[in-house]
Amino acid sequence: MEHPILFISIILEKLGLPIPHGPVGHGLIEQLTAPYMTYTWFTMIFLVVVGKLTLGNLEMVPGKGQNFWEILIGGMDDFFVENMGRELTDKLFPMIATFALYIAVANLIGLIPGFMSPTSSINTTLALTIIVWITHHIIGIRANGLAYVKHFLGPMPVLIPLMLPIELISNFARLLSLSIRLFGNIMAKETLLGILFMLAGAYFAPLPIMVLGVLVSLVQAMVFVLLTVVYFTQSNEHAH
Amino acid sequence: MSKMSKEMIHLLGNYGHIGFTFVAAIFIGMGGGILLDQKVFDDRTTPWFTFIGLAFGIAAGFKSLFDIIKQQNKEFNDKDKD
Repeated sequence: MEHPILFISIILEKLGLPIPHGPVGHGLIEQLTAPYMTYTWFTMIFLVVVGKLTLGNLEMVPGKGQNFWEILIGGMDDFFVENMGRELTDKLFPMIATFALYIAVANLIGLIPGFMSPTSSINTTLALTIIVWITHHIIGIRANGLAYVKHFLGPMPVLIPLMLPIELISNFARLLSLSIRLFGNIMAKETLLGILFMLAGAYFAPLPIMVLGVLVSLVQAMVFVLLTVVYFTQSNEHAH
Repeated sequence: MSKMSKEMIHLLGNYGHIGFTFVAAIFIGMGGGILLDQKVFDDRTTPWFTFIGLAFGIAAGFKSLFDIIKQQNKEFNDKDKD
């Protein structure tokens, strides 16, 4: 999709780096300077710098910044514990919380003119989903050993030839549905905003869509995290 | 977070991906069938594996639908016990 103005791309172009005109270029540098890559790095730098600035010196009586993070991290911790138990949360909290923060910020920066959401590229969401998908199999194998295969064999031995393909297909469908839902929602938001800016940007036409965009961004981040938690819980428990 | 919005997120997460999962299962089943027909068996078995894959894909879609409903029922029952 043609984006109106992307600040990082313009800065890089001024520095003499090649900027791909399509979604992905051919050379290595072109692939590294694709907009979704540069904005992924921007999101990462933003999260690290904000975290460093607000949590640089921890205090017993928290200030404004530390208070915000304590509520956010504490809320997420409670949510995960409620859904998948203390033990699994302690193991996986850094990963899932990072996903939550990254996806939420990545979705939201697309609302600022001149920025784009890295999650509006299928590459980013598919990468996140593959990590989740492989991790939930690793959790299953570590928790159940070889008995993890029973998850895919259905309730009765007679039904194995029928249930095995069905279970495998529905497991691979997780890979597809998790990535495409996040990508589709955010890409739709970005495209709609771009078109409305182009058509009637001077009359504030994109404003209602931006309000909806905030909602969609946060809800999609939450849904991604919730589904991750559900998958981890399911692969961790014993087969029925 | 209030109790209401937590419930809302749960419902959104559980029911919001029914459509996508259903479609994804059908596409993967049929795609696997087409792949078997065209690449593995070199068009000798042409319509059959596609149809079998499609049938398995639809079955997998319904199965994931039932799984989602079962999961939601379990959560409701857990809440009733508390």
